[in-house]
Amino acid sequence: MNSDDKKYWKGLEELREEPQFLEVRSKEFPEEISQTTRRNFLKLMGFSFTGAALAACARMPVEKAIPFLIKPEEVVPGVANWYATTCAGCTASCGLLAKVRDGRPIKIEGNAESPLFQGGACAVGQATVLSLYDDERLKKPLWLGNAASWEEIDQSIGKELKDIVNRGGKIVILSGTIVSPTTRALLNEWCQTFTNARHVVYDAVSASAILSANEKSFGVKALPHYRFDLAKLVVGLNADFLGTWISPVEFTRAYTQHRMPSHDMTRHIQFESGMSLTGSNADRRIPINPSEEGPTALTLLKEISNLKSGAGSSNETAQDLWKHRGESLVVSGSNHVDVQIVVNAMNALLGNIGKTVDLDNVSLQKQGVDDEMNRLVDEMNRGEIQGLILYGVNPAYDFPDSDRFISGLKKVPCSVSFSDRLDETSSLVQAVCPDAHFLESWNDAEPVQGALSLTQPVLRPLFATRSAQESLLTWMGKNVDYYTYLRDYWREKIYPLSTGLYLTFDNFWDLSVQNGVLSLPAQTPTERNFSGSVPIAFQNPPKGLEVHLYEKIGLRDGRHANNPWLQELPDPVTKITWDNYAALSPKTASALGLEEGDVVLVKNDYVSLELPVQIQPGQAALTVSVALGYGRTHCGKAGNNVGVNAYPLIPHPTGFRVEKTGRKVALAATQTHHSMEGRPIVKETILAEYINNPSAGNEEHEKLLTLWEEWPKEGRAWGMSIDLNACTGCSACIISCQAENNVPVVGKDEVTRRREMHWIRLDRYYSGPEENPETVHQPMMCQHCGNAPCETVCPVLATVHSTDGLNQQVYNRCVGTRYCANNCPYKVRRFNWFDYAHNDQFDYTMNSELGTMVLNPDIVVRSRGVMEKCSLCIQRIQEGKLQAKREGRPLKDGEIRVACEQSCPAQAITFGDLNEKESRVAQQNHDGRFYHVLEELNVRPVVGYLTKVRNK
Amino acid sequence: MIHPPLIDGRPTVQQVTKDICRPLHARPGLAWIAAFLCALTALLMGVGLVTYEIRTGIGTWGLNKTIGWAFDITNFVFWVGIGHAGTLISAILLLFRQKWRTSINRAAEAMTIFAVLCAAVFPVIHMGRPWLAFWVFPYPNTRGPLWVNFRSPLLWDVFAISTYFTISLVFWYIGMIPDLATFRDRAEKKWQKVVYGFLSVGWNGSNRTWSRYETLCLILAGLATPLVVSVHTIVSMDFATSVIPGWHTTIFPPYFVVGAVFSGFAMVTTLLIVTRKVMNLENYITMRHLEAVAKVILTTGSIVGLAYLTELFTSWYSGSSYEQFAFKNRIIGPYGWTYVIMVTCNVITPQFLWVKKIRTNIVTLFIISIIVNIGMWFERFVIIMTSLHRDYLPSSWAMYRPTFVEVGTLIGTFGLFFTCFLIFARVLPVIAMWEVKPLAAELISPHRESSHG
Repeated sequence: MNSDDKKYWKGLEELREEPQFLEVRSKEFPEEISQTTRRNFLKLMGFSFTGAALAACARMPVEKAIPFLIKPEEVVPGVANWYATTCAGCTASCGLLAKVRDGRPIKIEGNAESPLFQGGACAVGQATVLSLYDDERLKKPLWLGNAASWEEIDQSIGKELKDIVNRGGKIVILSGTIVSPTTRALLNEWCQTFTNARHVVYDAVSASAILSANEKSFGVKALPHYRFDLAKLVVGLNADFLGTWISPVEFTRAYTQHRMPSHDMTRHIQFESGMSLTGSNADRRIPINPSEEGPTALTLLKEISNLKSGAGSSNETAQDLWKHRGESLVVSGSNHVDVQIVVNAMNALLGNIGKTVDLDNVSLQKQGVDDEMNRLVDEMNRGEIQGLILYGVNPAYDFPDSDRFISGLKKVPCSVSFSDRLDETSSLVQAVCPDAHFLESWNDAEPVQGALSLTQPVLRPLFATRSAQESLLTWMGKNVDYYTYLRDYWREKIYPLSTGLYLTFDNFWDLSVQNGVLSLPAQTPTERNFSGSVPIAFQNPPKGLEVHLYEKIGLRDGRHANNPWLQELPDPVTKITWDNYAALSPKTASALGLEEGDVVLVKNDYVSLELPVQIQPGQAALTVSVALGYGRTHCGKAGNNVGVNAYPLIPHPTGFRVEKTGRKVALAATQTHHSMEGRPIVKETILAEYINNPSAGNEEHEKLLTLWEEWPKEGRAWGMSIDLNACTGCSACIISCQAENNVPVVGKDEVTRRREMHWIRLDRYYSGPEENPETVHQPMMCQHCGNAPCETVCPVLATVHSTDGLNQQVYNRCVGTRYCANNCPYKVRRFNWFDYAHNDQFDYTMNSELGTMVLNPDIVVRSRGVMEKCSLCIQRIQEGKLQAKREGRPLKDGEIRVACEQSCPAQAITFGDLNEKESRVAQQNHDGRFYHVLEELNVRPVVGYLTKVRNK
Repeated sequence: MIHPPLIDGRPTVQQVTKDICRPLHARPGLAWIAAFLCALTALLMGVGLVTYEIRTGIGTWGLNKTIGWAFDITNFVFWVGIGHAGTLISAILLLFRQKWRTSINRAAEAMTIFAVLCAAVFPVIHMGRPWLAFWVFPYPNTRGPLWVNFRSPLLWDVFAISTYFTISLVFWYIGMIPDLATFRDRAEKKWQKVVYGFLSVGWNGSNRTWSRYETLCLILAGLATPLVVSVHTIVSMDFATSVIPGWHTTIFPPYFVVGAVFSGFAMVTTLLIVTRKVMNLENYITMRHLEAVAKVILTTGSIVGLAYLTELFTSWYSGSSYEQFAFKNRIIGPYGWTYVIMVTCNVITPQFLWVKKIRTNIVTLFIISIIVNIGMWFERFVIIMTSLHRDYLPSSWAMYRPTFVEVGTLIGTFGLFFTCFLIFARVLPVIAMWEVKPLAAELISPHRESSHG
């Protein structure tokens, strides 16, 4: 049958071809379309609109932030918990307290229980909390560049290690200085488990020369514990001990203790090439070239021995040192063994060994010896190393001859890195086993013999990371976690040494974890005789400029390069952010026809770097200072390609010339004018005058009338005083404030436009000759004026005065006329030029889920178009008041500590109630040194300053 | 002394009506179209840039932590100042029965309105959150005790500018009613009849209407007169009440008012020279008018010069090092060139107007008026920016450089101004016919000559 003839039918109607059916079929829409009238349509529309509107009116579903079914005992939503831990920002290993809010650490403070550090925390230490929430951290281990599970990694590495051992190959664990005694013990055990394994310590910025020199001079291959607290005279030779050298927080605290103006105020003389933070605080500063360190030390040594032999000397420094023998301290940051030997001889001659130089309770903060690393790289290049485990090091970036290291690394069949990110080195290795952040792990530290501290995790690891110790334990086949290992170590090695009264080890352990620090009885320091020979003379350097390499307060050796807080931290001296540069003395710059920002080639026969010029008053003539730690290429979005890597200059620091490239760049500086223009902004005097008259340099005061009604003087009247004599300018307060108050990072371009957002800044002024000026540092934040010029001009009352004397900024009310900022004589107000949060233009800290976890929930994140400024940490004031009220007692002086005050390693800032007669701040208000900046304007600030007294 | 007639060509009263009502029937000329397209382009660019600025943030401008105001408030003060000439001409000169004002007062008042409009843009867009600009008005609200701050000069500004705008607008409109009626009567198209009919509010030209009308004009003139002084006085207080050296000066109120009149008259000159040419109104806006305006420019320019000197003297005499530094920095600091422009344009250039040949020459007068306009913009820039960029603490001293957004926004306000002005010239009586007609009538029947000015 022909298929065309076949007829399919759906119903009988169709088969029969009924007329109704035919009619319906001919229509376009066979189904009946409802004949909606206009009225009905409007009714339906009205109903559906109303329905939709009502549905939209429903409240957003309530999301419980902490849906605890069974609430952990110690976690109360909205109340912070504090845990003691130990900083891993650098090897100084300061005792810290981590503030944990709702399960996440948001702020770092110093642990006041720590006998070494006494509660200060440096900028780097405080910024470590931001590194925890770094988007660039590896979320999983990597095997040959691909994500792998820990089981796979362990299996593969276990097999590789076994093979190497079977082959009899050498395995090396290359680490930075290990301050943790338990980890050191673990590494020892590890090296014993694997035959032919050894541990090499490599510090990018090492104290190798000091270690070697001490071995030669005193037979102790160690870094002495320098006792700045016992020194009445400190002589520094290119040692930036207040900024970056060995243990800056400890040294700052110790140094400032005796820098209060009095008869026995410590004196400080600094010989240095570039203007360092330490040099800027010296009573006398003498610019020298790096090659002059040796000759200078030698001259001093000769003069002192002349003095000792009774021959006399005309050298002022030598006379001073001799006068203070036994209570003086000579320190050198040089990495030349000969220079350190001369320094040792000097300290020995002055009888400082066993007093200010403690070789019995040595510092363990720098253990790296450069030669060992050189030897290792040679071995690697010869193909002798079969397995290399990199722990906390990044030699592909910071080893001066990084190409040689990289070529050596390629010859190592099994390479493993514990790096937390794909950095310059870990991107070249076989396996990356990301180490946990120190806030996620257990550990201990012994920065100075006998001064122990513990690291405890304050949150669970955010990612599938594992602490390096845990990995090592797994690979050595030990079925024990690192916590147990650590506890056992403390039970066996430390508990027996402790002198405290503890019932059991558990009791000892709990208390130690709680305190975070533990002091074991110290050895009595002994005087040691200097042995060995002192070099007779030092070689003259070749012609040309000398390069002086230094670490910056923020980035240090470069490991923190991806931390935007630290990148944007202004250098305390140059005030430049987000860059390194070639610092030249004004004379050298003008002789070469260079201006600030000119891009130059700094080159000698071996290396050449392209850097912008910075003209630095006080820079030694014929030297170029260049900061290390910049020019990272694999650290993350914030730090990649910021500045230039200066490590390659280390082996060849002389014979440089500077060539113009003709290009010019803008350096992102937060301060561009460096003179006080003769204005009484920072008042200073010298010690001799201060002793005669405590108000020296601060004689002029004006008692001015006011047209306004005086603010009531009842209740609390918050105030602050800042001791300019204590403040070293270390800038820890800037980061502390930034972390506490959710201050955004704005990036290099915006800083160049002078729009940094820091609520507290450190003004730095020079005075005197530009070859060697005197420097002052002045923390400047909202002065909380009683007659605040900002308050009268705001049209919408967005900035108002509180009854307790604070000048308050109401973000919600602010419409952003910026009149208040214009009318602020201190220029401390900061405007939100853009949205800094969740804005791809500002991809720093507040643009990702992870990054925003560091935000303090007590403080709002300000939106675009509003003004902000220092609130004197009103959230802390409020918290303190409530705490006292809850406990039904009056508030104690010093109970409320604002962020800048709390972190200050020098204790330069005091906050308190001016109405309370006994409070420290009220007392300081009556000090002869007390003054207000711009007093003559009669704006009546509550923040005041104490004059700077130089011990000249 | 017999003055030359205020209008030339002895037009009849009909001729006056015919000349002024010409745009009602004629198509716009090429010059007008070209000018309008330029102005509109500038305006649209300005709208685009302001939109971008409001969407992105004030960061698109060149301001920083030290310099919170620069182009924005400079432009604001500049435009407010421009407006002053209009009010002065229409109110004060009316009260003083200065008949030479009649030909130019309408255009000058229009200029006031548009200038204030341009000025009002800046206080709004310079805010970080302009969508909350309404918070500066003291109206009952539900935000609890939050209200405005009556101590803030910015709030006084809000009152001053809004009052000024309202009164100027009312005065201008009331002054136009008889002429709008003329337009209504001569309108041919339906929409013209409807619109002008509505705007002329049933004007019938009866004796009673005229008598009441002239009384009302006098009252409004009386009300507007204090505004000539008050508005710029208050604008000057934005600076005078602050603590910033270079701003904190008691001379500012008179200094600003004179400066405003000075700049306003310069702008009037610029506009009238262009208008009389483009709109063929040479017979009505004559050399006599322009010369009178030039004399005002000369006088006020000299007073402005005196103010500059007084300011320098005061800063020296104050003994305050901050004050002295502020002025030293203005003159020899990094922005010294702006001070040089200011003095050259505002003090030296107007002195050429002592020469009759120069002040009665259209070309030289036009050039001088432009120079004065530029100089007065720079005066405000010098006051605002150079005082801010180096104030008390040298650590915060900073430099400023405008971005394309700021420059474009300034050009955009010129676009707004000229767009409005060109539309005004096309659709409204540019010259007050009812005031000019008596002058024309006098010329025809010399018995009633009384125009000794």
